[in-house]
Amino acid sequence: MREKSFAQSFSKHTLGMIGLVGIIVVVLVGVFGPMFVKFPSGYDEAMPLAAPSAKYWLGTDSLGLNLFNQIVWGARTSLFISLTAVAVASGIGVPLGLVAGYFKGRIGALIDSVIEIAMTIPTLPLMILISAISGPSVTTVAIVIGVFSWPTLARIVRNSTLKLAGLPYIEAAVILGIPRRTIMFKHILLNAAGPALVDLTIIMATAVLTEAGLSYLGLGDPNSWSWGGILQTAFRGGHHFHAWWLIVCPSLAIMFFVVSFNLLGLGINETLNPKRE
Amino acid sequence: MFQYITLRVLKGALTFLAAITVTFLIVRLMPGDPTTAFISDSMTPKDVESLNALLGLDRSLLEQYLLFLRNLANFELGQSFFYKEAVSAIIAPKLGWTLLLIGTALFITLLIGIPLGVYTARHKGKWLDQTVSTLIVLGISIFIPLLAFALVWVFSLELGLTPVGGAVTPGIEGSERILSIMRHMILPTMTLVIVNLAQIVLFTRSSMLDVLKEDYIRTARAKGVNDRGVTWGHALRNAMIPTVTITGLMLGKMVAGAVLTETVFSWPGLGSMIYEAVQKQDFPLLQGAFIVLAFSVILMTLVTDLVVAWLDPRIKLHEGAAQ
Repeated sequence: MREKSFAQSFSKHTLGMIGLVGIIVVVLVGVFGPMFVKFPSGYDEAMPLAAPSAKYWLGTDSLGLNLFNQIVWGARTSLFISLTAVAVASGIGVPLGLVAGYFKGRIGALIDSVIEIAMTIPTLPLMILISAISGPSVTTVAIVIGVFSWPTLARIVRNSTLKLAGLPYIEAAVILGIPRRTIMFKHILLNAAGPALVDLTIIMATAVLTEAGLSYLGLGDPNSWSWGGILQTAFRGGHHFHAWWLIVCPSLAIMFFVVSFNLLGLGINETLNPKRE
Repeated sequence: MFQYITLRVLKGALTFLAAITVTFLIVRLMPGDPTTAFISDSMTPKDVESLNALLGLDRSLLEQYLLFLRNLANFELGQSFFYKEAVSAIIAPKLGWTLLLIGTALFITLLIGIPLGVYTARHKGKWLDQTVSTLIVLGISIFIPLLAFALVWVFSLELGLTPVGGAVTPGIEGSERILSIMRHMILPTMTLVIVNLAQIVLFTRSSMLDVLKEDYIRTARAKGVNDRGVTWGHALRNAMIPTVTITGLMLGKMVAGAVLTETVFSWPGLGSMIYEAVQKQDFPLLQGAFIVLAFSVILMTLVTDLVVAWLDPRIKLHEGAAQ
Protein backbone atom coordinates (compact mmCIF):
# COMPACT_ATOMS: atom_id res chain seq x y z
CA MET A 1 0.00 0.00 0.00
CA ARG A 2 2.63 2.45 1.10
CA GLU A 3 4.87 1.66 -1.88
CA LYS A 4 2.05 2.51 -4.25
CA SER A 5 1.23 5.77 -2.55
CA PHE A 6 4.89 6.79 -2.65
CA ALA A 7 5.09 6.09 -6.39
CA GLN A 8 1.91 8.02 -6.92
CA SER A 9 3.02 11.11 -5.07
CA PHE A 10 6.51 10.91 -6.57
CA SER A 11 5.04 10.90 -10.08
CA LYS A 12 3.50 14.28 -9.28
CA HIS A 13 6.91 15.77 -8.51
CA THR A 14 7.95 17.27 -11.83
CA LEU A 15 11.64 17.78 -11.09
CA GLY A 16 11.96 14.32 -9.59
CA MET A 17 10.37 12.78 -12.67
CA ILE A 18 12.72 14.76 -14.95
CA GLY A 19 15.60 13.29 -12.94
CA LEU A 20 14.20 9.77 -13.23
CA VAL A 21 13.82 10.08 -17.00
CA GLY A 22 17.36 11.45 -17.25
CA ILE A 23 18.71 8.46 -15.31
CA ILE A 24 16.81 6.03 -17.53
CA VAL A 25 18.43 7.70 -20.56
CA VAL A 26 21.91 7.44 -19.02
CA VAL A 27 21.38 3.80 -18.08
CA LEU A 28 20.10 2.93 -21.56
CA VAL A 29 23.04 4.70 -23.22
CA GLY A 30 25.58 3.20 -20.80
CA VAL A 31 24.26 -0.36 -20.93
CA PHE A 32 23.17 -0.73 -24.55
CA GLY A 33 25.06 2.07 -26.31
CA PRO A 34 28.43 0.29 -26.41
CA MET A 35 26.78 -2.66 -28.22
CA PHE A 36 26.06 -0.43 -31.19
CA VAL A 37 28.96 1.95 -31.07
CA LYS A 38 32.56 0.99 -31.82
CA PHE A 39 35.10 1.37 -28.98
CA PRO A 40 37.23 4.35 -30.04
CA SER A 41 40.89 3.34 -30.12
CA GLY A 42 44.14 4.02 -31.93
CA TYR A 43 44.09 6.55 -34.76
CA ASP A 44 41.24 7.07 -37.12
CA GLU A 45 41.35 8.05 -40.76
CA ALA A 46 38.79 10.75 -40.02
CA MET A 47 39.89 14.35 -39.93
CA PRO A 48 41.37 15.30 -36.53
CA LEU A 49 39.55 18.04 -34.62
CA ALA A 50 36.60 18.06 -37.03
CA ALA A 51 33.72 20.21 -35.83
CA PRO A 52 30.35 18.53 -35.25
CA SER A 53 28.67 17.70 -38.55
CA ALA A 54 26.17 15.26 -40.05
CA LYS A 55 28.95 12.70 -40.37
CA TYR A 56 30.54 13.22 -36.97
CA TRP A 57 27.66 14.18 -34.73
CA LEU A 58 29.81 15.56 -31.97
CA GLY A 59 32.99 16.14 -33.96
CA THR A 60 36.34 14.38 -33.55
CA ASP A 61 39.29 14.73 -31.19
CA SER A 62 42.95 15.38 -32.01
CA LEU A 63 43.44 11.73 -33.04
CA GLY A 64 40.43 11.85 -35.35
CA LEU A 65 38.39 9.66 -33.01
CA ASN A 66 34.66 10.14 -33.01
CA LEU A 67 33.62 12.12 -29.92
CA PHE A 68 30.13 10.63 -29.97
CA ASN A 69 31.55 7.13 -29.46
CA GLN A 70 33.74 8.40 -26.62
CA ILE A 71 30.76 9.95 -24.86
CA VAL A 72 28.73 6.73 -25.19
CA TRP A 73 31.56 4.62 -23.76
CA GLY A 74 32.11 7.26 -21.11
CA ALA A 75 28.50 6.77 -19.96
CA ARG A 76 29.31 3.14 -19.21
CA THR A 77 32.41 4.15 -17.20
CA SER A 78 30.41 6.72 -15.25
CA LEU A 79 27.70 4.18 -14.42
CA PHE A 80 30.29 1.65 -13.31
CA ILE A 81 32.07 4.22 -11.14
CA SER A 82 28.94 5.53 -9.46
CA LEU A 83 27.51 2.05 -8.79
CA THR A 84 30.78 0.75 -7.36
CA ALA A 85 31.26 3.86 -5.25
CA VAL A 86 27.73 3.69 -3.88
CA ALA A 87 28.13 -0.03 -3.08
CA VAL A 88 31.38 0.57 -1.21
CA ALA A 89 29.99 3.61 0.62
CA SER A 90 26.88 1.69 1.71
CA GLY A 91 28.96 -1.28 2.79
CA ILE A 92 30.82 0.97 5.23
CA GLY A 93 28.31 3.69 6.05
CA VAL A 94 25.11 1.70 6.65
CA PRO A 95 26.44 -0.76 9.28
CA LEU A 96 28.40 1.98 11.03
CA GLY A 97 25.37 4.28 11.10
CA LEU A 98 23.11 1.50 12.38
CA VAL A 99 25.51 0.53 15.15
CA ALA A 100 26.15 4.17 16.12
CA GLY A 101 22.43 4.90 16.36
CA TYR A 102 21.39 1.66 18.03
CA PHE A 103 24.08 1.41 20.69
CA LYS A 104 23.98 4.84 22.23
CA GLY A 105 26.80 4.33 24.73
CA ARG A 106 30.52 4.31 24.14
CA ILE A 107 30.48 2.52 20.80
CA GLY A 108 28.03 5.07 19.48
CA ALA A 109 30.14 7.98 20.69
CA LEU A 110 33.26 6.40 19.20
CA ILE A 111 31.66 5.95 15.78
CA ASP A 112 30.26 9.48 16.00
CA SER A 113 33.76 10.88 16.44
CA VAL A 114 35.07 8.73 13.57
CA ILE A 115 32.29 10.10 11.34
CA GLU A 116 33.06 13.67 12.39
CA ILE A 117 36.79 13.22 11.77
CA ALA A 118 36.16 11.66 8.36
CA MET A 119 33.88 14.57 7.43
CA THR A 120 36.48 17.19 8.34
CA ILE A 121 39.45 15.84 6.40
CA PRO A 122 39.63 17.29 2.86
CA THR A 123 39.25 14.17 0.74
CA LEU A 124 40.14 15.30 -2.79
CA PRO A 125 43.87 15.84 -2.10
CA LEU A 126 43.92 12.46 -0.33
CA MET A 127 42.20 10.74 -3.24
CA ILE A 128 44.69 12.38 -5.60
CA LEU A 129 47.58 10.99 -3.55
CA ILE A 130 46.12 7.47 -3.46
CA SER A 131 45.23 7.38 -7.15
CA ALA A 132 48.65 8.75 -8.10
CA ILE A 133 50.47 6.09 -6.10
CA SER A 134 48.25 3.16 -7.03
CA GLY A 135 48.35 4.01 -10.73
CA PRO A 136 45.48 4.78 -13.10
CA SER A 137 42.63 2.26 -12.99
CA VAL A 138 38.88 2.78 -13.17
CA THR A 139 38.23 0.18 -10.46
CA THR A 140 40.72 1.74 -8.04
CA VAL A 141 39.25 5.20 -8.57
CA ALA A 142 35.73 3.85 -8.04
CA ILE A 143 36.68 2.11 -4.80
CA VAL A 144 38.64 5.11 -3.53
CA ILE A 145 35.65 7.40 -4.17
CA GLY A 146 33.39 4.95 -2.35
CA VAL A 147 35.74 4.67 0.61
CA PHE A 148 35.57 8.46 1.06
CA SER A 149 31.81 8.84 0.50
CA TRP A 150 30.46 6.94 3.51
CA PRO A 151 30.50 9.59 6.31
CA THR A 152 27.37 11.52 5.26
CA LEU A 153 25.52 8.25 4.70
CA ALA A 154 26.60 6.91 8.10
CA ARG A 155 25.42 10.10 9.77
CA ILE A 156 22.02 9.99 8.05
CA VAL A 157 21.47 6.31 8.91
CA ARG A 158 22.59 7.01 12.47
CA ASN A 159 20.13 9.86 12.91
CA SER A 160 17.21 7.84 11.56
CA THR A 161 18.20 4.82 13.67
CA LEU A 162 18.38 6.99 16.76
CA LYS A 163 14.82 8.16 16.14
CA LEU A 164 13.45 4.72 15.25
CA ALA A 165 15.18 2.80 18.05
CA GLY A 166 13.05 4.59 20.64
CA LEU A 167 9.74 3.73 18.98
CA PRO A 168 7.38 1.16 20.58
CA TYR A 169 7.53 -1.31 17.68
CA ILE A 170 11.26 -1.77 18.22
CA GLU A 171 10.74 -2.23 21.94
CA ALA A 172 8.12 -4.84 21.09
CA ALA A 173 10.57 -6.61 18.80
CA VAL A 174 13.18 -6.66 21.57
CA ILE A 175 10.70 -8.13 24.02
CA LEU A 176 9.68 -10.76 21.47
CA GLY A 177 13.28 -11.91 21.54
CA ILE A 178 14.03 -11.13 17.89
CA PRO A 179 17.83 -11.19 17.39
CA ARG A 180 19.47 -7.79 17.49
CA ARG A 181 20.91 -8.15 14.02
CA THR A 182 17.46 -8.82 12.55
CA ILE A 183 16.04 -5.81 14.36
CA MET A 184 18.80 -3.54 13.08
CA PHE A 185 19.02 -4.69 9.49
CA LYS A 186 15.35 -5.44 8.94
CA HIS A 187 13.08 -3.50 11.24
CA ILE A 188 15.17 -0.36 11.50
CA LEU A 189 16.99 -0.24 8.17
CA LEU A 190 13.83 -0.72 6.10
CA ASN A 191 12.25 2.27 7.78
CA ALA A 192 15.39 4.36 7.57
CA ALA A 193 15.68 3.60 3.86
CA GLY A 194 14.06 6.84 2.66
CA PRO A 195 16.57 9.42 3.83
CA ALA A 196 19.40 6.99 3.05
CA LEU A 197 18.11 6.63 -0.50
CA VAL A 198 18.30 10.39 -0.98
CA ASP A 199 21.92 10.34 0.08
CA LEU A 200 22.67 7.39 -2.23
CA THR A 201 21.56 9.43 -5.23
CA ILE A 202 23.77 12.30 -4.07
CA ILE A 203 26.71 9.90 -3.61
CA MET A 204 26.22 8.59 -7.15
CA ALA A 205 26.12 12.11 -8.55
CA THR A 206 29.14 13.22 -6.55
CA ALA A 207 31.08 10.09 -7.53
CA VAL A 208 30.78 11.02 -11.19
CA LEU A 209 31.82 14.62 -10.47
CA THR A 210 34.80 13.40 -8.44
CA GLU A 211 35.86 10.90 -11.09
CA ALA A 212 35.62 13.63 -13.70
CA GLY A 213 37.73 15.87 -11.49
CA LEU A 214 40.37 13.19 -10.93
CA SER A 215 40.50 12.31 -14.64
CA TYR A 216 40.66 15.98 -15.47
CA LEU A 217 43.72 16.26 -13.21
CA GLY A 218 45.32 13.41 -15.17
CA LEU A 219 44.55 10.49 -12.86
CA GLY A 220 42.13 8.73 -15.20
CA ASP A 221 42.52 5.30 -16.74
CA PRO A 222 44.02 5.69 -20.23
CA ASN A 223 42.51 2.35 -21.26
CA SER A 224 38.90 3.34 -20.83
CA TRP A 225 36.90 6.35 -21.92
CA SER A 226 35.64 8.72 -19.31
CA TRP A 227 34.08 12.14 -19.66
CA GLY A 228 36.67 13.74 -17.41
CA GLY A 229 39.42 12.00 -19.39
CA ILE A 230 38.21 13.54 -22.65
CA LEU A 231 38.44 16.97 -20.99
CA GLN A 232 41.93 16.26 -19.69
CA THR A 233 43.15 15.20 -23.15
CA ALA A 234 41.69 18.34 -24.71
CA PHE A 235 43.10 20.54 -21.99
CA ARG A 236 46.57 19.03 -22.12
CA GLY A 237 46.63 19.22 -25.90
CA GLY A 238 45.72 22.90 -25.68
CA HIS A 239 42.52 22.40 -27.70
CA HIS A 240 40.24 23.84 -25.10
CA PHE A 241 39.60 27.16 -26.77
CA HIS A 242 39.43 26.37 -30.47
CA ALA A 243 37.80 22.89 -30.32
CA TRP A 244 34.90 23.89 -28.08
CA TRP A 245 33.04 20.60 -28.65
CA LEU A 246 35.79 18.70 -26.81
CA ILE A 247 34.98 20.73 -23.69
CA VAL A 248 31.26 21.32 -24.05
CA CYS A 249 30.11 17.78 -24.94
CA PRO A 250 31.78 15.82 -22.12
CA SER A 251 30.93 18.60 -19.65
CA LEU A 252 27.27 18.50 -20.67
CA ALA A 253 27.29 14.72 -20.34
CA ILE A 254 28.69 15.05 -16.81
CA MET A 255 26.16 17.71 -15.87
CA PHE A 256 23.30 15.68 -17.37
CA PHE A 257 24.22 12.66 -15.28
CA VAL A 258 24.79 14.65 -12.10
CA VAL A 259 21.70 16.85 -12.40
CA SER A 260 19.51 13.80 -13.12
CA PHE A 261 20.65 11.99 -9.98
CA ASN A 262 20.41 15.09 -7.82
CA LEU A 263 16.90 15.82 -9.12
CA LEU A 264 15.87 12.27 -8.31
CA GLY A 265 17.22 12.77 -4.80
CA LEU A 266 15.31 16.05 -4.51
CA GLY A 267 12.13 14.34 -5.70
CA ILE A 268 12.45 11.47 -3.23
CA ASN A 269 13.27 13.86 -0.41
CA GLU A 270 10.34 16.17 -1.03
CA THR A 271 7.95 13.26 -1.52
CA LEU A 272 9.02 11.70 1.78
CA ASN A 273 9.04 15.00 3.68
CA PRO A 274 6.35 17.23 2.27
CA LYS A 275 7.16 20.93 2.67
CA ARG A 276 6.55 22.38 6.09
CA GLU A 277 3.90 25.05 6.27
CA MET B 1 33.24 27.88 27.44
CA PHE B 2 36.80 27.00 28.38
CA GLN B 3 35.91 23.33 28.46
CA TYR B 4 34.19 23.57 25.09
CA ILE B 5 37.24 25.17 23.53
CA THR B 6 39.60 22.60 25.04
CA LEU B 7 37.41 19.79 23.71
CA ARG B 8 37.34 21.33 20.24
CA VAL B 9 41.09 21.83 20.15
CA LEU B 10 41.60 18.22 21.23
CA LYS B 11 39.20 17.05 18.55
CA GLY B 12 41.09 19.08 15.95
CA ALA B 13 44.39 17.58 17.06
CA LEU B 14 42.89 14.08 16.92
CA THR B 15 41.54 14.75 13.42
CA PHE B 16 44.95 15.90 12.24
CA LEU B 17 46.58 12.83 13.77
CA ALA B 18 44.02 10.65 11.97
CA ALA B 19 44.70 12.44 8.68
CA ILE B 20 48.47 12.03 8.84
CA THR B 21 48.22 8.44 10.06
CA VAL B 22 46.01 7.58 7.10
CA THR B 23 48.57 9.18 4.78
CA PHE B 24 51.39 7.29 6.42
CA LEU B 25 49.59 3.96 6.10
CA ILE B 26 48.37 4.56 2.54
CA VAL B 27 51.81 5.33 1.26
CA ARG B 28 53.45 2.36 2.98
CA LEU B 29 50.79 -0.30 2.73
CA MET B 30 49.89 0.24 -0.92
CA PRO B 31 50.52 -2.79 -3.10
CA GLY B 32 53.99 -2.62 -4.59
CA ASP B 33 57.25 -1.29 -3.26
CA PRO B 34 56.60 1.54 -0.79
CA THR B 35 59.98 3.08 -1.55
CA THR B 36 58.75 4.05 -5.04
CA ALA B 37 56.72 6.74 -3.34
CA PHE B 38 59.86 8.38 -1.99
CA ILE B 39 62.77 7.35 -4.18
CA SER B 40 62.83 8.26 -7.84
CA ASP B 41 65.17 6.91 -10.50
CA SER B 42 66.86 10.26 -10.87
CA MET B 43 68.24 10.26 -7.31
CA THR B 44 71.88 9.54 -6.69
CA PRO B 45 72.80 6.67 -4.29
CA LYS B 46 73.81 9.33 -1.81
CA ASP B 47 70.42 10.99 -2.00
CA VAL B 48 68.77 7.62 -1.43
CA GLU B 49 70.98 6.95 1.56
CA SER B 50 70.18 10.26 3.24
CA LEU B 51 66.48 9.77 2.53
CA ASN B 52 66.65 6.32 4.11
CA ALA B 53 68.20 7.84 7.18
CA LEU B 54 65.44 10.44 7.30
CA LEU B 55 62.47 8.14 6.77
CA GLY B 56 63.90 4.86 8.10
CA LEU B 57 62.44 2.91 5.19
CA ASP B 58 64.50 -0.15 6.18
CA ARG B 59 63.17 -0.20 9.75
CA SER B 60 59.97 -1.52 11.31
CA LEU B 61 56.64 0.16 10.60
CA LEU B 62 56.35 1.49 14.13
CA GLU B 63 59.81 3.06 14.04
CA GLN B 64 58.98 4.55 10.64
CA TYR B 65 55.79 6.01 12.11
CA LEU B 66 57.62 7.62 15.02
CA LEU B 67 60.20 9.05 12.61
CA PHE B 68 57.37 10.32 10.40
CA LEU B 69 55.77 12.14 13.34
CA ARG B 70 59.11 13.61 14.42
CA ASN B 71 59.83 14.82 10.89
CA LEU B 72 56.40 16.44 10.68
CA ALA B 73 57.01 18.24 13.96
CA ASN B 74 60.13 19.70 12.31
CA PHE B 75 58.18 20.63 9.14
CA GLU B 76 60.21 18.01 7.30
CA LEU B 77 57.98 16.67 4.50
CA GLY B 78 60.61 14.98 2.36
CA GLN B 79 62.10 15.99 -0.95
CA SER B 80 60.32 16.71 -4.21
CA PHE B 81 61.29 14.31 -7.01
CA PHE B 82 61.10 16.94 -9.68
CA TYR B 83 62.36 20.11 -8.03
CA LYS B 84 64.98 18.35 -5.89
CA GLU B 85 64.09 20.71 -3.07
CA ALA B 86 62.48 20.32 0.32
CA VAL B 87 58.71 19.89 -0.07
CA SER B 88 58.02 22.38 2.71
CA ALA B 89 60.01 25.09 0.90
CA ILE B 90 58.02 24.55 -2.30
CA ILE B 91 54.64 24.45 -0.57
CA ALA B 92 55.02 27.43 1.78
CA PRO B 93 54.68 30.25 -0.80
CA LYS B 94 51.88 28.42 -2.68
CA LEU B 95 49.78 27.89 0.45
CA GLY B 96 49.36 31.65 0.84
CA TRP B 97 47.87 31.98 -2.66
CA THR B 98 45.44 29.13 -2.07
CA LEU B 99 44.32 30.46 1.32
CA LEU B 100 43.86 33.93 -0.18
CA LEU B 101 41.58 32.47 -2.84
CA ILE B 102 39.57 30.25 -0.47
CA GLY B 103 39.32 32.96 2.18
CA THR B 104 38.05 35.60 -0.24
CA ALA B 105 35.60 33.20 -1.83
CA LEU B 106 34.26 32.13 1.55
CA PHE B 107 33.87 35.73 2.70
CA ILE B 108 31.96 36.74 -0.43
CA THR B 109 29.83 33.58 -0.33
CA LEU B 110 28.70 34.39 3.22
CA LEU B 111 28.29 38.08 2.40
CA ILE B 112 25.85 37.28 -0.40
CA GLY B 113 24.44 33.98 0.86
CA ILE B 114 23.26 34.98 4.32
CA PRO B 115 21.16 38.02 3.31
CA LEU B 116 19.79 36.00 0.39
CA GLY B 117 18.86 33.15 2.74
CA VAL B 118 17.13 35.58 5.11
CA TYR B 119 15.30 37.21 2.22
CA THR B 120 14.04 33.91 0.80
CA ALA B 121 12.94 32.85 4.28
CA ARG B 122 10.85 35.99 4.72
CA HIS B 123 9.26 35.82 1.31
CA LYS B 124 8.42 32.16 1.07
CA GLY B 125 5.98 30.82 -1.43
CA LYS B 126 5.65 28.00 -3.86
CA TRP B 127 7.39 29.81 -6.69
CA LEU B 128 10.35 30.87 -4.56
CA ASP B 129 10.58 27.42 -2.94
CA GLN B 130 10.84 25.78 -6.35
CA THR B 131 13.42 28.28 -7.57
CA VAL B 132 15.57 27.83 -4.49
CA SER B 133 15.51 24.03 -4.62
CA THR B 134 16.25 24.02 -8.36
CA LEU B 135 19.17 26.40 -7.89
CA ILE B 136 20.52 24.22 -5.07
CA VAL B 137 20.46 21.16 -7.31
CA LEU B 138 22.24 23.07 -10.07
CA GLY B 139 24.75 24.44 -7.56
CA ILE B 140 25.81 21.01 -6.31
CA SER B 141 25.84 19.63 -9.85
CA ILE B 142 28.26 22.11 -11.39
CA PHE B 143 31.43 20.63 -12.83
CA ILE B 144 33.98 23.24 -11.81
CA PRO B 145 36.29 23.13 -14.85
CA LEU B 146 33.29 23.72 -17.13
CA LEU B 147 32.11 26.71 -15.11
CA ALA B 148 35.65 28.08 -15.03
CA PHE B 149 36.07 27.68 -18.78
CA ALA B 150 32.72 29.33 -19.38
CA LEU B 151 33.69 32.31 -17.22
CA VAL B 152 37.05 32.68 -19.00
CA TRP B 153 35.32 32.44 -22.34
CA VAL B 154 32.74 35.12 -21.55
CA PHE B 155 34.67 37.58 -19.38
CA SER B 156 38.19 37.25 -20.71
CA LEU B 157 37.97 36.19 -24.32
CA GLU B 158 34.69 37.78 -25.44
CA LEU B 159 34.43 40.84 -23.21
CA GLY B 160 38.14 41.28 -22.43
CA LEU B 161 37.34 42.43 -18.90
CA THR B 162 39.50 40.07 -16.87
CA PRO B 163 42.87 38.35 -17.26
CA VAL B 164 42.80 34.78 -18.62
CA GLY B 165 44.96 33.34 -15.87
CA GLY B 166 47.80 33.78 -13.40
CA ALA B 167 47.71 35.79 -10.22
CA VAL B 168 49.56 39.00 -10.98
CA THR B 169 51.06 40.82 -13.93
CA PRO B 170 54.82 40.51 -13.52
CA GLY B 171 57.02 43.54 -13.04
CA ILE B 172 54.71 45.87 -11.14
CA GLU B 173 55.02 46.95 -7.54
CA GLY B 174 53.08 48.57 -4.74
CA SER B 175 49.39 49.38 -4.99
CA GLU B 176 49.40 48.55 -8.70
CA ARG B 177 50.40 45.02 -7.75
CA ILE B 178 47.52 44.66 -5.31
CA LEU B 179 45.08 45.93 -7.92
CA SER B 180 46.47 43.49 -10.43
CA ILE B 181 46.06 40.58 -7.98
CA MET B 182 42.48 41.65 -7.35
CA ARG B 183 41.76 41.70 -11.07
CA HIS B 184 43.23 38.24 -11.46
CA MET B 185 41.21 36.97 -8.53
CA ILE B 186 37.81 37.95 -9.92
CA LEU B 187 37.13 34.86 -12.03
CA PRO B 188 38.56 32.14 -9.73
CA THR B 189 36.69 33.68 -6.79
CA MET B 190 33.49 33.91 -8.83
CA THR B 191 33.80 30.20 -9.69
CA LEU B 192 34.08 29.16 -6.06
CA VAL B 193 31.32 31.53 -4.92
CA ILE B 194 28.85 30.22 -7.52
CA VAL B 195 29.54 26.62 -6.53
CA ASN B 196 29.13 27.17 -2.78
CA LEU B 197 26.50 29.89 -2.63
CA ALA B 198 23.46 27.63 -2.96
CA GLN B 199 24.29 25.64 0.15
CA ILE B 200 24.72 28.71 2.34
CA VAL B 201 21.42 30.14 1.09
CA LEU B 202 19.69 26.82 1.79
CA PHE B 203 20.96 26.50 5.33
CA THR B 204 20.37 30.11 6.30
CA ARG B 205 16.89 29.92 4.85
CA SER B 206 15.82 26.70 6.54
CA SER B 207 17.22 27.59 9.95
CA MET B 208 15.71 31.07 9.65
CA LEU B 209 12.31 29.48 8.96
CA ASP B 210 12.75 27.32 12.08
CA VAL B 211 13.83 30.20 14.29
CA LEU B 212 11.03 32.51 13.16
CA LYS B 213 8.56 29.99 14.63
CA GLU B 214 10.11 30.18 18.13
CA ASP B 215 8.29 31.62 21.11
CA TYR B 216 10.83 34.36 21.75
CA ILE B 217 10.24 35.74 18.28
CA ARG B 218 6.53 35.96 19.05
CA THR B 219 7.38 37.67 22.32
CA ALA B 220 9.54 40.21 20.52
CA ARG B 221 6.75 40.87 18.03
CA ALA B 222 4.25 41.23 20.89
CA LYS B 223 6.54 43.75 22.52
CA GLY B 224 6.23 45.80 19.36
CA VAL B 225 9.59 45.17 17.73
CA ASN B 226 9.13 45.77 14.03
CA ASP B 227 9.61 43.13 11.37
CA ARG B 228 13.09 44.24 10.39
CA GLY B 229 14.25 44.31 14.01
CA VAL B 230 12.89 40.82 14.64
CA THR B 231 14.56 39.39 11.55
CA TRP B 232 17.97 40.97 11.78
CA GLY B 233 18.20 41.58 15.51
CA HIS B 234 16.55 38.61 17.17
CA ALA B 235 16.30 35.75 14.69
CA LEU B 236 19.46 35.99 12.62
CA ARG B 237 21.89 35.40 15.45
CA ASN B 238 20.37 32.03 16.30
CA ALA B 239 19.67 31.15 12.70
CA MET B 240 23.38 31.62 12.01
CA ILE B 241 24.41 28.64 14.13
CA PRO B 242 23.59 25.91 11.56
CA THR B 243 24.98 28.12 8.77
CA VAL B 244 28.33 28.51 10.51
CA THR B 245 28.41 24.78 11.26
CA ILE B 246 27.78 23.90 7.63
CA THR B 247 30.45 26.41 6.60
CA GLY B 248 32.92 24.38 8.64
CA LEU B 249 31.86 21.21 6.88
CA MET B 250 32.06 22.93 3.48
CA LEU B 251 35.73 23.80 3.87
CA GLY B 252 36.92 20.40 2.66
CA LYS B 253 34.74 20.75 -0.43
CA MET B 254 36.04 24.29 -0.98
CA VAL B 255 39.59 22.98 -1.00
CA ALA B 256 38.60 20.43 -3.65
CA GLY B 257 36.95 23.20 -5.63
CA ALA B 258 40.00 25.41 -5.30
CA VAL B 259 42.29 22.64 -6.61
CA LEU B 260 40.21 22.33 -9.80
CA THR B 261 39.66 26.08 -10.14
CA GLU B 262 43.34 26.92 -9.79
CA THR B 263 44.34 24.56 -12.61
CA VAL B 264 42.01 26.27 -15.07
CA PHE B 265 43.18 29.78 -14.14
CA SER B 266 46.86 28.86 -13.56
CA TRP B 267 46.47 30.39 -10.11
CA PRO B 268 49.89 29.78 -8.52
CA GLY B 269 48.60 27.98 -5.42
CA LEU B 270 48.61 24.41 -4.18
CA GLY B 271 45.98 23.32 -6.71
CA SER B 272 48.14 24.14 -9.72
CA MET B 273 51.07 22.57 -7.90
CA ILE B 274 49.07 19.37 -7.33
CA TYR B 275 48.17 19.31 -11.03
CA GLU B 276 51.84 19.53 -12.01
CA ALA B 277 52.87 17.02 -9.35
CA VAL B 278 50.36 14.52 -10.76
CA GLN B 279 51.78 14.91 -14.27
CA LYS B 280 55.31 14.46 -12.91
CA GLN B 281 54.45 11.63 -10.50
CA ASP B 282 55.93 13.68 -7.70
CA PHE B 283 54.52 11.71 -4.73
CA PRO B 284 56.31 13.52 -1.88
CA LEU B 285 54.89 16.81 -3.14
CA LEU B 286 51.38 15.33 -3.30
CA GLN B 287 51.70 13.95 0.22
CA GLY B 288 52.96 17.29 1.51
CA ALA B 289 50.11 19.13 -0.20
CA PHE B 290 47.53 16.88 1.45
CA ILE B 291 49.07 17.26 4.91
CA VAL B 292 49.22 21.04 4.64
CA LEU B 293 45.68 21.31 3.26
CA ALA B 294 44.33 18.98 5.93
CA PHE B 295 45.99 21.09 8.60
CA SER B 296 44.56 24.31 7.16
CA VAL B 297 41.05 22.90 6.91
CA ILE B 298 41.15 21.54 10.47
CA LEU B 299 42.36 24.90 11.74
CA MET B 300 39.61 26.77 9.90
CA THR B 301 37.02 24.26 11.18
CA LEU B 302 38.23 25.05 14.68
CA VAL B 303 37.63 28.73 13.99
CA THR B 304 34.05 28.03 12.87
CA ASP B 305 33.55 26.00 16.08
CA LEU B 306 34.66 29.02 18.10
CA VAL B 307 32.27 31.26 16.17
CA VAL B 308 29.45 28.82 16.96
CA ALA B 309 30.41 28.98 20.63
CA TRP B 310 30.31 32.77 20.49
CA LEU B 311 26.90 32.76 18.78
CA ASP B 312 25.32 30.08 20.90
CA PRO B 313 24.46 31.30 24.39
CA ARG B 314 23.86 27.71 25.51
CA ILE B 315 27.59 27.08 25.10
CA LYS B 316 28.67 30.48 26.42
CA LEU B 317 26.57 30.31 29.58
CA HIS B 318 27.32 26.70 30.45
CA GLU B 319 30.64 27.56 31.96
CA GLY B 320 32.06 24.48 33.57
CA ALA B 321 29.03 22.41 32.64
CA ALA B 322 29.72 19.29 30.65
CA GLN B 323 28.97 19.53 26.97
